Amino acid sequence: MKLKETILDPIFKSNPITVLVLGICSSLAVTVTMKGALVMALSVMAVCGISSLILSTLRNTIPGRVRIIVQLVVVAMMVILVDQILKSFEATYPIDKQLSVYISLIITNCIVMGRIEAFALGNKPIPSMLDGLANGAGYGLVLLIVAFFRELLGSGTLFGIQVMPAGYVTNNLVILPPFALILLGCIVWVQRSIQKDLQEK
Amino acid sequence: MNTNNNLYTVVYTTIIVVIVAAVLAFVSQSLKSRQDANEKAETISQMLTAGGFGNKAEFQAMGNAKVLETYGNEVEAAFTVDAAGAKVADLDIAAREVFSRSQLKAQNYKVKAGEGYALPVFIFKNGITVVPVYGAGLWGPVWGYIAFEQDGKTIHGAYFDHESETAGLGARIKDDPAFQAEFVGEQAWFGESPVFAIVKGGAPAEDGKSLVDNKIDAITGATMTSQGLDAAINAWLGAYAAYFGTAKAVEE
Repeated sequence: MKLKETILDPIFKSNPITVLVLGICSSLAVTVTMKGALVMALSVMAVCGISSLILSTLRNTIPGRVRIIVQLVVVAMMVILVDQILKSFEATYPIDKQLSVYISLIITNCIVMGRIEAFALGNKPIPSMLDGLANGAGYGLVLLIVAFFRELLGSGTLFGIQVMPAGYVTNNLVILPPFALILLGCIVWVQRSIQKDLQEK
Repeated sequence: MNTNNNLYTVVYTTIIVVIVAAVLAFVSQSLKSRQDANEKAETISQMLTAGGFGNKAEFQAMGNAKVLETYGNEVEAAFTVDAAGAKVADLDIAAREVFSRSQLKAQNYKVKAGEGYALPVFIFKNGITVVPVYGAGLWGPVWGYIAFEQDGKTIHGAYFDHESETAGLGARIKDDPAFQAEFVGEQAWFGESPVFAIVKGGAPAEDGKSLVDNKIDAITGATMTSQGLDAAINAWLGAYAAYFGTAKAVEE
């Protein structure tokens, strides 16, 4: 596969959320605010990219029978590192508190393990890292689109800054997880109408 | 090389795990002081929120340094008290010494045992006293701060936090301002049992307004969290009963 495709495909053509339908759970939970979604997106990119890099480097030495366990150990390490780093900075501490368990739950995000199994264990380190980063970015892009509408309509703000005119009545439905699912459905709809090859006959 | 060899597998996994453990231990140690500083500012902002000096979002926007400064300006005295209500030791206000969550947890074992504890009391310049509570919710610890008026029994405000309660249900002890507002104006009946109650099925009310008593409504759909918080409040306020008892006697 060409390097350009490795990077661009996961962002749109084979987006982990809208095409592979992975990582749905966290995309419903952390998209109430743009800040939360951005931090989550960057965290997943970091975890996905660096774990892919490490595991791809080790791929020829990993014993086949404990392959998944070795992957888990490395991914878990990355998730804990990201969580610790977020907790250490004044700017990210409140966001880490707001995201609470969802940062630790990145380890169960199918995108991370899925890309390691499908790509990193069969490719060279650098393409693997780019694949991880690109998949994280594809995930983050959808997260940010969903969060944009949810924060704008649900709280009248973007990144915590008031943008809706004063007197805007916030929509409580938008804050609740079901609306994220509706939005995701709309995004999948848009993508499928652009990308005809995804449509079932 | 045969990577499916048993010995190879065992040695390989051992090495990987040891390396990962070393990395995590190193990072955890080197970031600890920064995390502690953040946690301390968070604790103080929770206390100030309970005491009615502002709301949580304002303190968050202020930044750590301003939060510590506000605390320094407002606090009058901070010390620990024992089971008899007697003062044990002063807390260092200049160093903004407060009880961290792990300290509260350690005290919680002693509160449950009913002896040997030294619980913090924070008295502010406007006469408000803030005390912590700590206990078990449904999935993890719940804790918070309750502020009392000068009479030592009327609740001025409260703020609660949790580690991993269910979002939208148990998490409302933290996220729902209406739940925390229910505490305001209610009383803690020290020396009675229960000291305070979070009741299912509606607290006694008249004309749609909650009566001034020691009961508030539990959260619908979060029975276990409500019960956990109820137990935490009772255990801790019970442990403070002697202190608030003597405080009242002095006033009279």
